[in-house]
Amino acid sequence: MTAETVTPPHFCAAHLLGSWDEHHPQRAFIELAGQNAPNRPDGTLVVARREEMTEFLRHPAVHATDGVNYHMGAQRPLIPLDLDGEAHRKYRKLLDPLFTPKRVARLEATIRARTNALIDVFADNGKAELMLGLCAPLPAHIFIDLLGLPTDDLPIFLEFKEAVVRPQGATVDEQQANMLAAGERTYDYLARVLDERRAGPPRDDLIGGFLTVEMDGGRLTDQEIIDICYLLVIAGLDTVTCSLSCMIAWFAEHPAERRRVLAGPELLGKAIEELMRYESPVPLGHRWVTEDIEVHGRHFPAGSKVEVVWAAANVDPDTFPDPLTVDFDRPHNAHVGFAAGPHRCLGSNLARLELRVALEEFHRRIPEYKITPGEDVVYTNYGVRAAIHLPITFPAG
Amino acid sequence: MRVTVDRDRCQGHALCVLNAPALFDLDEIDSHAYVLADPVPGELAGSARSAVENCPEQAIAVAD
Repeated sequence: MTAETVTPPHFCAAHLLGSWDEHHPQRAFIELAGQNAPNRPDGTLVVARREEMTEFLRHPAVHATDGVNYHMGAQRPLIPLDLDGEAHRKYRKLLDPLFTPKRVARLEATIRARTNALIDVFADNGKAELMLGLCAPLPAHIFIDLLGLPTDDLPIFLEFKEAVVRPQGATVDEQQANMLAAGERTYDYLARVLDERRAGPPRDDLIGGFLTVEMDGGRLTDQEIIDICYLLVIAGLDTVTCSLSCMIAWFAEHPAERRRVLAGPELLGKAIEELMRYESPVPLGHRWVTEDIEVHGRHFPAGSKVEVVWAAANVDPDTFPDPLTVDFDRPHNAHVGFAAGPHRCLGSNLARLELRVALEEFHRRIPEYKITPGEDVVYTNYGVRAAIHLPITFPAG
Repeated sequence: MRVTVDRDRCQGHALCVLNAPALFDLDEIDSHAYVLADPVPGELAGSARSAVENCPEQAIAVAD
């Protein structure tokens, strides 16, 4: 195996800039958004401007994959993320109705109960590490309930998810091999779950729904269900975990804004949108261009791989005046924190609900908190931005 | 004021439904937004403009 040293992986064009800062990457993203037709040293084209992005993403010649390599260690196209055109529309039509604001609202009581059960564990201690105490387990529990997986399997698929999202290895090749191996374990696990579910009585959860739903006059095959669930397990857990950690870390360091939300709970929805813009937990995605196209006067040759940086578009000063100011009352906030175009985040309204309920309950139980003196929040920005170490102190009891 | 949703541009983000529930809902079949009140009642003109400014796909338009 060739040894291509990675120190550290430059996951984004903004990461290569002198202004890059792990704690506050927003300045580097602003610099990237200000560049004219940016590209990486290896020639990869970069889309970073908010205006250009919407038109680029909705162009029919802009595809989600190169048709050979798939996201997140998958061996087959993930459904629906790795599909385009009519095949993609067909599955979105099936899946979108399952994740509308009305449909996900029925999970609100469960999310509230799970959040409180997790807070109970540390509420009397006066301090907590919230990545392990709240942000990581909460979305995992919600997803287990939603899909209908056995609760005892939680550690198993947290391990898959971690190995796929942040693969270990000293080289790119090693990381890729570890990611594919974790993907293999995920396929085996999901195949076993489906066998068990087919043998058992029907149940009212997502997997139960996939087993009975009809598309084009027929049932979904096991392979289709596995390719949908693989994406949900991997993409649905980590993104909410990371977003919640960024938001609590931000509120810990901005007590005046936190107290505004405590005094006016109706502000929380807007606060979440604004923090999705500012923190952009999923910083970028990739697209492939299938034919020569022009977008906003810029030429994209057929065959190009394009890095689409949501985090840069979200701080583009041409669209978001004073982009470094977190303003819950920002009147124009068409951010792309959940991406845009045909592949916009399927679970965005479930994510919004989880974030709102988790923050409501956390702030109700622990309204005053700060980063533990003498300790630091540790951020990672590779793959997904998160406060991976989030130590807080608060008045106990 | 009239408000329209370009259903070709709409991707079902649902931000219009969250920002202006009296003006928009999602189609149960394709999960794209549709307009509930057209013309827009005077007291909802601000909500309509807010929906335009917060749509990630620039799929909503208003005209006086």
